[in-house]
Amino acid sequence: MKNAYVLAGVVASVAFATPALADDHLTLEGRTIGVAVVGTQHFWDREAFNGAVDTVEALGGTVRAVDGGRDNQVHADNHDILRAAGVDAVISILGDGAVEPKFEALRAADIPVFTVDHPSPHSINNTTSDNYYMGTTIGRLMADALEGEGKVAVFNAFENALRICAIRTQLWKYVLQDYPGIEILEPELAEEFANAPEDARRQTLDLLSQYPEGELDAIHVGCWDQPAIGVVQALEETGRDDDVIVTALDAGPDTLEIMAEEGSPFVANVAQQPRLIGTISAQNVARHFAGETLLSQTYVDVMPVDGRDGAIETYGELGYGSLE
Amino acid sequence: MTEAALSLQEIVKTFPGVRALDSASLTLQPSEIHGLVGENGAGKSTIIKVLAGIYTPDSGQLRIAGQHIHPITPASVHDAGIRFIHQELHLVPHFTVAEAIFMGQELAGPFGLRKGQMRHRAEEFLHDRLGVTIHGNRLVRDLGTAERKLVQIARALIDGQAKVVVFDEPTAPLASAEVKTLMDAIFRLKQQEITILYVSHYLNEIMGICDRVTVFRNGRNVAVFDDVDDALGPKMISAMVGRDLDDIYPARTRSFAETVMTLDKLTGPGFEDVSLSLRKGEILGVAGLIGSGREELVDTLYGLARAKGGTLHLHGKRARIRTPSDAIAQGVVLVPRDRRNDGLVLPMTVGENITLATLDEDATFGVENRAHARTRAARKVSELDIRPANTGAIVRFLSGGNQQKVVLARWLARDADIFVLDEPTVGVDIGARAEIYSVVNRLAQDGAGVLVSSSDPGELIGLCDRILVMLRGRVVAELDPARQSMDDLIALSTGATNAPQGQEVPV
Amino acid sequence: MSATIPPRRRALEQLVGFAPVLIFAGMLVHIGIQAPGFVSLLTLGLVLEQSLPVVLVCIGMSIVVMAGGEDVVAGGIDLSIPATTVLAAGILAQWLAADGGFVMACLLALGAALLVGATNAALVAWIGLTPLLASLAMFGAVVGVNNMVTASRRINVDHPIILWLRDAEIAGIAVGILCVAAFGLAAYHLLHRTRFGLHLQAGGGSVEAAEMVGLSARRHLAIAFLLAALTGFIAGFFVLARGSGSSPGVEDNLMLEMVLATYLGAAFSPRRVVTLWGAVLGALLVGAITIGFKSMGVNVFWLGLIKGALILTVVAFAALAKRGRA
Repeated sequence: MKNAYVLAGVVASVAFATPALADDHLTLEGRTIGVAVVGTQHFWDREAFNGAVDTVEALGGTVRAVDGGRDNQVHADNHDILRAAGVDAVISILGDGAVEPKFEALRAADIPVFTVDHPSPHSINNTTSDNYYMGTTIGRLMADALEGEGKVAVFNAFENALRICAIRTQLWKYVLQDYPGIEILEPELAEEFANAPEDARRQTLDLLSQYPEGELDAIHVGCWDQPAIGVVQALEETGRDDDVIVTALDAGPDTLEIMAEEGSPFVANVAQQPRLIGTISAQNVARHFAGETLLSQTYVDVMPVDGRDGAIETYGELGYGSLE
Repeated sequence: MTEAALSLQEIVKTFPGVRALDSASLTLQPSEIHGLVGENGAGKSTIIKVLAGIYTPDSGQLRIAGQHIHPITPASVHDAGIRFIHQELHLVPHFTVAEAIFMGQELAGPFGLRKGQMRHRAEEFLHDRLGVTIHGNRLVRDLGTAERKLVQIARALIDGQAKVVVFDEPTAPLASAEVKTLMDAIFRLKQQEITILYVSHYLNEIMGICDRVTVFRNGRNVAVFDDVDDALGPKMISAMVGRDLDDIYPARTRSFAETVMTLDKLTGPGFEDVSLSLRKGEILGVAGLIGSGREELVDTLYGLARAKGGTLHLHGKRARIRTPSDAIAQGVVLVPRDRRNDGLVLPMTVGENITLATLDEDATFGVENRAHARTRAARKVSELDIRPANTGAIVRFLSGGNQQKVVLARWLARDADIFVLDEPTVGVDIGARAEIYSVVNRLAQDGAGVLVSSSDPGELIGLCDRILVMLRGRVVAELDPARQSMDDLIALSTGATNAPQGQEVPV
Repeated sequence: MSATIPPRRRALEQLVGFAPVLIFAGMLVHIGIQAPGFVSLLTLGLVLEQSLPVVLVCIGMSIVVMAGGEDVVAGGIDLSIPATTVLAAGILAQWLAADGGFVMACLLALGAALLVGATNAALVAWIGLTPLLASLAMFGAVVGVNNMVTASRRINVDHPIILWLRDAEIAGIAVGILCVAAFGLAAYHLLHRTRFGLHLQAGGGSVEAAEMVGLSARRHLAIAFLLAALTGFIAGFFVLARGSGSSPGVEDNLMLEMVLATYLGAAFSPRRVVTLWGAVLGALLVGAITIGFKSMGVNVFWLGLIKGALILTVVAFAALAKRGRA
């Protein structure tokens, strides 16, 4: 079942890069693979992590896992521990610039680094969603939902810190350039990394009191959608859920459920397949040890989620269950 | 005659409403140990504070070895070679002996502290000048009280500039076995041509160590004794007291019933083997200086301190008191000495304070019956003549005497038959004192057993049916106020005389 | 009357004072057995390097505790140091990212840190607020300011001096370790080998004793808060170096480890009081435990629980040891 799922999901780029696609050749027997994840509270992080861990174990490898507890500094430091433990390879999931020197040290110790959603010059391969497609798609979906006009506030804490966020947000902005009626409000908002929903709820309440009805039409979360949970809460609390729409990226089951509610202000999203991303990253490690040459980026398909119906459909398609 | 080492001449110091020093003089001859005695409030501490430069005198002058010191400031007296050994042992517990001795005057070179040198010199000083051997690296908190006292002395004298050293109640915190160590050290200082002023309540120590004694009373020096002999004790006491008993005490017309409280060899922090019994209708006094264990005994009876040995019986039954609420539950009520901190809720009204202890009784399922409580409080206010006669007055603004009456009223409102009064009239004017005594008398007449702990010998003699005298943690005598006088009480509690035969151990 | 303490009770007191060290030693042994490869030179270097910011803030914290006394509520305690550290790091990062010049960045960060220290000093030493509350409130306020300065974003820093602190080695030892060791030695000398240091400790041991010999305990406490802010400022550089920039949210972990390490350190001191060396050793031990548990694969949330429980244990034993002495 899992293999079929994987095969269906792997996009063409992997297929081209890996002539020997038959997975039964792959093995991690006798190898210890370090898996460092920035946190496991959020669905996305947890799924990518579990995908990687399960696959390493399925391929016969031993996992040494470290969890940053949603603290980027701790996450970065954890790489040192993996280095000291002498693992054979490291899969590093997410993380900000603080991990770069740690990657360098790992490479210096001849430990190959594989990343998930974190492009880095020190990484053999980065497995990620198609962020370019995500950025432009959410731009178009939002512009359509606003009918080309309105004022948009954006949570954008990570554009400068995380390359994937830069791609998503900047392409979103790129699309909006063609809609002169849409204005991005300054200053942009910065969400917290830990405790994001509650923080975003507070910031949204402040924002709503600053911009009365009619002066704000949309709130966009530039790089993920955990803060959008708090944004929707704040809109519902203040009764502004009729005049302000919400858009964001990732579309895990929790946010899809919110989108699927009747009259939800959360109208557009782009769904990723985090478990599959983790799985492919682990397989890439095995491919590397099998002597294959990997492309520096492996892209995994994403699915646009447009409105309530789109949410219900995607929820089913990704195997999260049924919302009907 | 040689020039006096130190002389304070005709010092006057007034505070608003009080003439604390009324042309008081004090003269110390070189290399003598000079005792300074007097009752509480006689002006001893005031003249010490004048000498230390803490109080500026209104008039009078200070000469040290003939030199006129003016103005008298902490710095000028320090420069003139006067050192003070205060009653309190203020030392840093986790410092070493050497660090404590050199505190504020450390030896340091270009590369930091000279720890070895400080330790060496501290040990040398303690050994050569005070006659004790204490390792310089021991921590202060590991020392005994007498050793700490010696460290405190060394701290004051280590610079070698001391000419006159003032000891203020140096033995108060010491056990009797430790007193001798300190006395020996002080004697050694005298041999090193240091002049010593020795202030103490313990007349036996004064007689044991001093060359001459000055007695203060009512803010002035009333006598100087040059000869220290056996007759000195009574002479000092009569000079100190010099007054008759105030005529403010209720007549002793009480009758005693069964015993309500018995202590058998009770031992606790600061007191040992205290045995006593208190009967219904009786007022039992406990006398003793600071450090006699009297305060600690009272605290233990009320659950503020823990007994370590011995037994306590209340109403004939073995009892344990671990907390104040244990005490209250077993019918023991304390009227504390520091009523502003321990006895009253100052920002609350008279009425609220009075009903505080009876909240349970005025409450139905925890809800206070306010009307009931108010009536009860109002009745107490008029019974005790609390002024202003208004249950709504805020306690903070009442006089000391009226505050004390509020505390008493609170407990009178409750059914208790053992009362422990700790310094019931400290800071209370004479009119209010009389009223408090009559309340205490009524308590006893109504059948309660009352234990009064006091530092005022007059109060104990005037009020009590029996008085136990404590000295350095033990009961040393029982005294009958009908037959014995204030002088006897002072002589016993200051150690000036030993307990008369047959009265050593009260039954 | 308290001159003689039975030897058995004395031994018990010693044991109570040592208990936190014994617990930690036991944990390290357990980790050494459970996680092979933990006991190695590489891990040792790792522990040292990762502990640098904690070591620095612990130095600051121990100075304040020494000057104010060990009562956790009313004595000397400065919870705001980690906030000062992230503020200094934030200002440095923001200024360096804007190419504003290294010296100016340092001056700005130092100024901000000393302002925090001076405010603490004023609140505690002059107005008389409880240090625990004052510095906790200060912690919140300073973190808020830092969020404003950095807009709650991560700022990458690649200034050569910061990279030098991160990467350079002298004789095979990381310069970061050498710098902190040098600073630690200087602070040790100041606190434990000079008259100033003893005067500062005197106030913490007994305000009355200090005042009695003419030392102002309040003034020394105020200076201690300033020194603590200074160590917070210096720690800022090491936070930047360790993270190659400033990431939001570093302060919480730093505070937890600072409190744990400082009070744990008292168990190392022969006098059973908070000392500079004790705090430094405590910080290293906490770092070793953290890394050890991670090497064992202990879940990060469990780690938080374990550290919290350790703080309670250490503080409880400190209180017990104190009660035994009284």
